[in-house]
Amino acid sequence: MGFDVLIDSMVSVFSSGSAIYVLLGVLLGLCFGVIPGLGGTTALALLIPVTFSMEALDAMYLAGGVMGATSFGGSITAILLNTPGTAPNAATTFDGYPLARQGKAGLAIGASATASALGGLIGLVTLLFVIPVARSVVLAFGPAEFFLLTMLGLVAIAVSSRGKLLRGLIAGGFGLMLAFVGTDTVSGELRFTLDTDYLWDGIPLVPTLTGMFAISQMIELGLKGGSVAGAVGDARQKISGVWDGVKAVFVHWPVLLRGSAIGTIIGAVPGLGGTVAAFMAYSSTVQSSRDPESFGKGNIVGVIAPESANNAKDGGSLVPTVAFGIPGSAETALFLGILVLHGIDPGPSILLDNQQEVYGLIVALTLSAVGASIIGLMFSRWLVLITYVNVHVLVPVVVTVSLTGVYVLDGKPGDVILAMIMGIVGYMMLRFDYPRLTLVIALVLGETAERSFHQTQMISDNDMLGFMAGRPQSLILIALTVLTLLLPALRRIRIAR
Amino acid sequence: MRNRFIRSLTVAAAALVACTGIASAEWPEKPITFVVPYSPGGGFDAYVRAVAPEMEKILGTEVVVENIPGAGGQKGASTVYRSDPDGYTIGIWNVPGLTVPQLLGKSTGYDLTDVTWIGNLATSNYALAVKADSPFNSLKELCSQGKPFKHSDTGPASTSSVTARVAMTLIDCPIQNVTGYKGSTDTIIGLMRGEVDATIKPLAQLLKYRKSGDVKILMTFEETRSAEDIPTSTELGYPDFANFDLRRIVGGPPGIPADIQEKLSAALLQAADAPSVQEWAASSNNALDPVGAEEASAIMQRLMDFYGSYKDVLAQ
Repeated sequence: MGFDVLIDSMVSVFSSGSAIYVLLGVLLGLCFGVIPGLGGTTALALLIPVTFSMEALDAMYLAGGVMGATSFGGSITAILLNTPGTAPNAATTFDGYPLARQGKAGLAIGASATASALGGLIGLVTLLFVIPVARSVVLAFGPAEFFLLTMLGLVAIAVSSRGKLLRGLIAGGFGLMLAFVGTDTVSGELRFTLDTDYLWDGIPLVPTLTGMFAISQMIELGLKGGSVAGAVGDARQKISGVWDGVKAVFVHWPVLLRGSAIGTIIGAVPGLGGTVAAFMAYSSTVQSSRDPESFGKGNIVGVIAPESANNAKDGGSLVPTVAFGIPGSAETALFLGILVLHGIDPGPSILLDNQQEVYGLIVALTLSAVGASIIGLMFSRWLVLITYVNVHVLVPVVVTVSLTGVYVLDGKPGDVILAMIMGIVGYMMLRFDYPRLTLVIALVLGETAERSFHQTQMISDNDMLGFMAGRPQSLILIALTVLTLLLPALRRIRIAR
Repeated sequence: MRNRFIRSLTVAAAALVACTGIASAEWPEKPITFVVPYSPGGGFDAYVRAVAPEMEKILGTEVVVENIPGAGGQKGASTVYRSDPDGYTIGIWNVPGLTVPQLLGKSTGYDLTDVTWIGNLATSNYALAVKADSPFNSLKELCSQGKPFKHSDTGPASTSSVTARVAMTLIDCPIQNVTGYKGSTDTIIGLMRGEVDATIKPLAQLLKYRKSGDVKILMTFEETRSAEDIPTSTELGYPDFANFDLRRIVGGPPGIPADIQEKLSAALLQAADAPSVQEWAASSNNALDPVGAEEASAIMQRLMDFYGSYKDVLAQ
């Protein structure tokens, strides 16, 4: 077990003065998190060249600081402006924003900070326990299980759109259609690319998310006028109740644990990531709640679940990394890139050869998960003032900054155009009451679903069902999917009695 | 009169000096852009970021690394191809990753036959590996199991997929390519999970997994042994296999003047020899075997002909 190494690393962060890099990372992460369109991936991609002149370990501290802080930063914007600061915060808007409109922004931010910090810690502790068996865990899950996981995610879409099932399915179907744009992973043929090489790599996620959530919300606000707090006729939004928010997380500890568990597991699956993790944590919480009608109207549990999941996913995403040196998420891919840049060759023995760097990253993530929440809470009093800013000032600033963020990631003008198109589509969906997150989840899942479906087909010699039937891990996932579909019906029967 | 003559002579001389001055003005006089056609954090990116600071010192001008990802590296390649041939824009090219789309007419905006080649930075040789406890001990056994052997890969256009399909066609060995893995490491993990029978991947990468006891390497695709205990394809009677390799080759747009090409090439070679770059290559297990402009151009010509003769296999 690596706890002794962990303690050594922890001590060396502080004694060598390298904690300053963690702190710098946390501040950067919070800023990139708060601003819609800029997220952890963008921050790390921009930092890679900067880290070239740093020591590898210091670069790890910086990267860990950034990674651990962005998702809490993003929740602040999600709660205050109904605009997720980073993609994984999308599910937080469902109940966070209604709370802010009821003048309970403090409660929501307090809960988000605590859930983020604890979720992050739970994910990392889980990682430390998994490390000795990480290799067998990664080898146990293949394309068949990845495919079944995406099915579970798609079923969650149906279940989570209670009352609006048809709209949910339409949005999900549209998302799946978008997922099939680009190069076919099996045949290499190009599909639906409209004769532009921009679409060869498919519909990119960051511009889509920024358009869907940030731009569309800014169109909505701009047309309404006034200010966020004023638009709802609220007298004075006070940042009170932060402590109640902190306490709420401990009161609802089962929600925290479930959210963290889902986040850790989804985080470990390459290609799914925080957005799916937070969405699944939210939908499973709604589903198992005794009072599902209260969600979407300002239920604090609806903030705790996604926020614990999207921070726990960092720990999970390091499982494939410590096992074989392969990335579990876009952020860990960049983290491995930093290592290569520093003359380190990540591979199956990364944990033996580069123990210092790996544990350095874990320590930085730990400090960041807690540090970001503390710093965030200190500043939240002033951040809430954003909701008083007149939207005619707010909208142009947010639109400009988020479109710039979209552009800097890859430097493609096409990304900016796509973000604007998605902004208009998103606004239409908002107006006509179609769930936007459902579309995004389907877009993310569609890619992995298609890829792993074909792989399973080829591996099993076209006998997918027979192949899955022989794998207990597949059967468990099939059972979970069936259960998810049946649970609402079973519940109704129980209530009827 | 005489005065005037002298004056006109002076003007003429001055003009001449100015003129030759322009022609031999010390190139470079502005920053050079070094394009990486992939996102930051990959192998090609790491190579460029390792040599760029050294080239900067040698050439006495800034060398700016710019990532232009997209369309499997073609976006960056076409950007370099279309830029002015003044030596201020160069890029790193993935060969045969970019060769094959061009041969199949699926490329956009570049033509490898007239790129100004500056030098080949590194060549990676391929090797054939199976799971550590696999019953297969030779390529012959893999080929004669009565059904196509399964091979793991990222996509049908990837370099190792091209290598696997062309090589197996050469010896009439049936192969089924299982594509869709998320990266070359993932294809090795797929092998370890038992999803496929074998995989053909760069030797350096496979050696790491042999060291950890996860895979067994059956042969390398080369003429002379680079790993002492692994037989080469040539030894085992597959002489053509040594043609397959992965090249990280540096080039600029068509028509860069020969003197500038020469300067860039010299700077690249000198940078690759710098202690900091050598140290990086050794510790990160990244091969470095730089060759200059002339040799690189010859290599590219040979590879175009080689892959060109298997166009119909590639098109499948």
